[in-house]
Amino acid sequence: MNDKVKKLLYGLLSVSSLALFVVVWVVLSHAEGTMLPTPTATFSRFIDIMQNPISKATLPVHIWVSLRRVLIAFLFAVVIGIALGVGLGWSEKFNAFFGPLFEMIRPIPPIAWIPMIIIWFGIGETAKIVIVFIGAFTSIVLNTSAGIRAIDPLLISAGKVLGANRRQLLVDVAMPATIPAILAGIRTALSSGWMCVVAAEMIAARQGVGFLIVRGQEIGDTALIVVCMLAIGIVSALLSLFLTKMEGVLCPWQFSKTQ
Amino acid sequence: MAVLKDTIIIKDLAKTFYLKSETKEVLKDINITVKENEFLVLLGPGQCGKTVLLNILAGLDAPTGGEITFVNGRPPMGDLGVVFQRYALFPWKTVMGNVEINQKFKGKSKAERQAAAQKYIELVGLQGFENSLPKQLSGGMQQRVGIARAYASESDIMLLDEPFGALDAQTRYSMEDEILRIWEKDRRTVIFVTNNVEEAIYLGDRIILLGGHPTGVKKEYVPDLPRPRNYTDPAFLKLRNEIVANTDLVL
Repeated sequence: MNDKVKKLLYGLLSVSSLALFVVVWVVLSHAEGTMLPTPTATFSRFIDIMQNPISKATLPVHIWVSLRRVLIAFLFAVVIGIALGVGLGWSEKFNAFFGPLFEMIRPIPPIAWIPMIIIWFGIGETAKIVIVFIGAFTSIVLNTSAGIRAIDPLLISAGKVLGANRRQLLVDVAMPATIPAILAGIRTALSSGWMCVVAAEMIAARQGVGFLIVRGQEIGDTALIVVCMLAIGIVSALLSLFLTKMEGVLCPWQFSKTQ
Repeated sequence: MAVLKDTIIIKDLAKTFYLKSETKEVLKDINITVKENEFLVLLGPGQCGKTVLLNILAGLDAPTGGEITFVNGRPPMGDLGVVFQRYALFPWKTVMGNVEINQKFKGKSKAERQAAAQKYIELVGLQGFENSLPKQLSGGMQQRVGIARAYASESDIMLLDEPFGALDAQTRYSMEDEILRIWEKDRRTVIFVTNNVEEAIYLGDRIILLGGHPTGVKKEYVPDLPRPRNYTDPAFLKLRNEIVANTDLVL
């Protein structure tokens, strides 16, 4: 089978899965006693919230409020997470000191932090950013430290015989070799951060998609809930797409397909 | 042949690995004197500890017995040229980036180190590929980068650890000619490790056959054949059979 036909066939498969999804949705939403809004009702609810604000914000504003929280927290998570991950992976002393503590704190789900965070920081922006930070930060630390430990020892040997001192070995050999692993961590971090922001907003917020979804529940507006769920899914997919592009730019030796 | 000066003297060298459950004696009673600017081949079967010996020479590992004397003093890390079997290029760096890195680590200015790197890139015939990434090059070309990078250390001593072991036969033959051409153009002391008898005879001024358990020096051969050598020359084949008969089999 040639490539063109193959590509077309795979494209058709993707489209048909989406079509099947809509068909099942239509059938289910028309069944008797169902609480599921029809696709048309959902779509008109979508048009409505694009124009008429809820809690002083239209849908794009709610999405932006959530996204902004994720991005701020994510920025901190990247900087602190990479630094800590490099420390844990590179220095045995640092790992001996911080490793056990990190291993103990790491398994606590970000959601479990919410009550303490609210007690400490109140229900303002800081609280939500801290929760997202906790959700995003661990996967960056884990991937970075695992990436550093998994470097091909041959590259380290090559660095040594080429005369790198310990700092050059870290900056010029170990760090670049770890970029693919760090990017994998960033991918996980961004999606878990996005999940955490929705969770945090569902508990205490006046704006954001998480708030909006809970508002839908309170007023029995199922169409609004479904609109929010779809928005969360689509934003997440777009973030993932953006990261794929970034991978090609940041480490072409690993991800770029061009030969 | 003119009398060559000694450059490295390996005396009673031994290496034993102390593992949890066992003690593994890898090298024992290794005595080799390396001459200045010669092409010395260390020939031995797979897994016999050739790489361990080369790592000790390179300063990546320490012997457990005996000593290595560099006549001009042990060069610091970065002042020995090393070529690895699996190339060990930095995949995120271009050809230029890989070749200049040694002088970059030493703190040379960009203009200076790139001019030097350019010279060695041209020496191995890779002009025009300065900005390519290693993955865009064939195996033979990648190992040329490895050779250029080692030469850019401007060391008098080059250590090559089965540098053509990962190449297909055809590329291997042409790389053997290539390494001789480079060596003749830019004379240095070359210590070339291989497990391939033909390669050893084709290249070496001297061949040190390693073998036994633990590995020691079995015999030294000096191929009395003019270069370029011919694989089908009766004298070549005679020496080949002699060495093969004396080599430990690894199954």
